[in-house]
Amino acid sequence: MNDRVELYRGNRILLSCLYWAFVVYVFVPLILMVMMGFKDSKFIGFPIKSWTLDWYVEVFRDAEVMFAFGYSMLIAILSTLISVVVGTWIAVLLEGRRFHGRAVMFGLTVLPALVPGIISAIAFRIYARWVGIEPGMGAIVWSHAVHNVPFVALVVMARLSTLPKSQIEAARDLGADPLVAFIRITLPYLAPAILGASIFCLLLSFDDFVRSFFLGGYEPTLPVLIFAKLRSGMSPEINAIASIALVLTAIIGVWAERFTRRLNKDN
Amino acid sequence: MKREISASNDAPRVQSGVPDRTFWGRLTGWAPYTAMMRLVTASPKRQFAILAALPIVWVLTQHLGPMLQMLRVSLTDAYPVAPGVEQHFTFDNYLRFFGDSIFWMPFFRTLTFAAAFTFCTLVLAYPVAYFLARHVSRRNQMLFLLILLIPFWVGEIVRTYAIMILLGNTGALNLALKWLGLIDQPIPFMYTGFSMGVGIVYLTALYMLLPLYSALEKLPKSMNEAAADLGAGPWTRFWRISLPMTLEGIASGCTLVFLISTGFYATPVLLGGPSTTVFAETIAGFFHVAGDQWPTGAAFAVLMFVAALLITAAFQKLMSALRRGESR
Repeated sequence: MNDRVELYRGNRILLSCLYWAFVVYVFVPLILMVMMGFKDSKFIGFPIKSWTLDWYVEVFRDAEVMFAFGYSMLIAILSTLISVVVGTWIAVLLEGRRFHGRAVMFGLTVLPALVPGIISAIAFRIYARWVGIEPGMGAIVWSHAVHNVPFVALVVMARLSTLPKSQIEAARDLGADPLVAFIRITLPYLAPAILGASIFCLLLSFDDFVRSFFLGGYEPTLPVLIFAKLRSGMSPEINAIASIALVLTAIIGVWAERFTRRLNKDN
Repeated sequence: MKREISASNDAPRVQSGVPDRTFWGRLTGWAPYTAMMRLVTASPKRQFAILAALPIVWVLTQHLGPMLQMLRVSLTDAYPVAPGVEQHFTFDNYLRFFGDSIFWMPFFRTLTFAAAFTFCTLVLAYPVAYFLARHVSRRNQMLFLLILLIPFWVGEIVRTYAIMILLGNTGALNLALKWLGLIDQPIPFMYTGFSMGVGIVYLTALYMLLPLYSALEKLPKSMNEAAADLGAGPWTRFWRISLPMTLEGIASGCTLVFLISTGFYATPVLLGGPSTTVFAETIAGFFHVAGDQWPTGAAFAVLMFVAALLITAAFQKLMSALRRGESR
């Protein structure tokens, strides 16, 4: 028996080593990248002998980069608004009363999330051309919105399935029509899920490269700008840009995670 | 019970004609609103139709539409259609694929690479998910998971760049190896299948980790304990219990990672070299050059999507067959 306990502990230690090795694998490249942004030399590579903040100063002076930041954020916000409304609507339909073709509807809903990136970008490019949307902000917003709808729908559906039906019935008994019952009972209950899904959409859109690349006009979004700069050569300025983007997204992600968890607990 | 109380308390107030001064009271008392709601909710059928209209139209035109339009364009000889040119139906775009090895080589390379990277991700993520689900207390699980989630909030390009810095000739890995005295000259990791693999595994690990974690979390601890009491060692327990019981999680994680891996464009461009051209780059080429190459690009994208779907479907079939075999 003692042997077995020993073995179990050995297992556990081995597994925890693997976990921490994975944490290192996941974090080290990012930490190195951030460090390189403080290197006092134009040449990317180790070792770093002296440090500087000049690259960050340069980033904030670079109008192109600042524009790309704002442009990406605007696209993220607009596309998220569309995704959240449509995704929630679809979720309400799918979680509501059973109907013929529900499985087909569900399959079509998740389709954009399953199409590999490049193929989805090409399909959107062709469709935008057919509909008559010029490459540019409108096209990017639209493609991000469509791509993110499945994520909203799935998250909201999961939350909706736990809504106590008695609350809706009580509201209806008290004279609320379906719309009022939805706005005053269902929506508040869905709030954490909707908030979590919107943050997820914001990050997905802000970080998206392939759709922005194929549907963009002359103004690059931030990932497209970083890509273009990378193709013409590495420079610590790119590290500074990427580090700012990294810190921003990480903070928003962690905050959303904690916030939605708290809201979930409250309910 | 509750229903009766509420009915007796509130129903008379509404009926007594005392106006409800709240926003909602005023809204529901407002004649145009009530008329509209009466119209909308006249029958359950109509109510359902109004609820279903937008989702159905959206899904058909926005989700299915682009795919169908891509399929249609792939079967034509000219797109975008120039004025004065007539568009014809043709299979040539598909035939073109088989005619030249610079087309089908990247195609098969992409599928092989994606399968190999998916396997690497599985091997890498399984122990991590296992540790999280089985050896971490419930209270800490979320924290441990959150630690891993942070880097995955960061975008594709930024993380690809991080891998470039790690693997470059003057990168951290080569520096570390040199410092350890293992090498004199830097190893050219970059622009090879290796660097591409490291990058793609790095980008997709989370999509494997989460399904595995939720599958392992559902696995009752008692089963492993019972097996241990019957004398099964850790290896046997893994092969006979954990692995068969989590086949579903493995299947969904692998499907997701495989599909995502086939769709990467920027990562292979930045981390790969001329000998590792993937099909995404081939497809993208048709949209960058001038001239009416779009139908060919569309046809190649359709081929890629169909191949990826067939492979994942075959894989899912295999996994469910295995699952049935195990439960017998």
